[in-house]
Amino acid sequence: MPLSVSLSIEGDTTVIELTGELDAKTAPDFHQTIEKAAGHGTSTVEIRMAGVGYMASAGLRSLVFAQQKVANNVTIKVVGAIEPVSRTIRTAGLDRSILLSDE
Amino acid sequence: MTTVSDMVELARTPVVLEVPATVGALGEIASFVLRLAGRAGLDKGAAYRLRLAVDELATNIVMHGYRGGDGRITVRGRSGPGGVQITIEDAAPAFDPVEGRLPPVPGVAPEDRRIGGLGIHLALTSVDEFSYAHRDGRNISMLTVKAEGTDPCPPRP
Repeated sequence: MPLSVSLSIEGDTTVIELTGELDAKTAPDFHQTIEKAAGHGTSTVEIRMAGVGYMASAGLRSLVFAQQKVANNVTIKVVGAIEPVSRTIRTAGLDRSILLSDE
Repeated sequence: MTTVSDMVELARTPVVLEVPATVGALGEIASFVLRLAGRAGLDKGAAYRLRLAVDELATNIVMHGYRGGDGRITVRGRSGPGGVQITIEDAAPAFDPVEGRLPPVPGVAPEDRRIGGLGIHLALTSVDEFSYAHRDGRNISMLTVKAEGTDPCPPRP
């Protein structure tokens, strides 16, 4: 099932927008984009997930990978995740280090 | 270990899907499971939980059971007004998901955990009932999501 990933810079924020389904098959595409985003050196990496209808644990690993890739003072935000996706993030305890936001 | 409740009325004849144990086959498994969820009239949340559980268990079989080698996964499903019951079978080395489950531990980063444990934790916290057996060299996981089920997935560890 397809995942589309886009990458852009808005001011001091690197924006990754995901649409589709994030699972073991599609997560590698997200991984590649995270590598590029980490190289941008902005103070915030914002991951827009409103268009993600499904996320498996492979997606969680990508978020952990993002945390490892960016510098300590970089904020990672997940924006607009639907309820079951944000619940998966909370179940893994990742909401301690990643900012979950509705807007 | 829980057994499948008599409360859940399910069709007697299961539908069966057999696929190669590859990452590419996970989408086919998801479609199969979502069709059963639709037939049982599961609401969106319950259908999501069912899909997540089967996906995580199947992914674990592909990645860690057969370890990328050749193998097959058989998924059987029954649906009825009470919910959906799924049986997942593989011939990889014996592995009990209940034993392999790793709940998140505060202070331990997910990257430091054993690979696979978190996915299984997600699977087991998404279903209403789960049982495992090893018979004739096959791993057999059976799970149920009830139409009127609770939402057992904890909000956070």
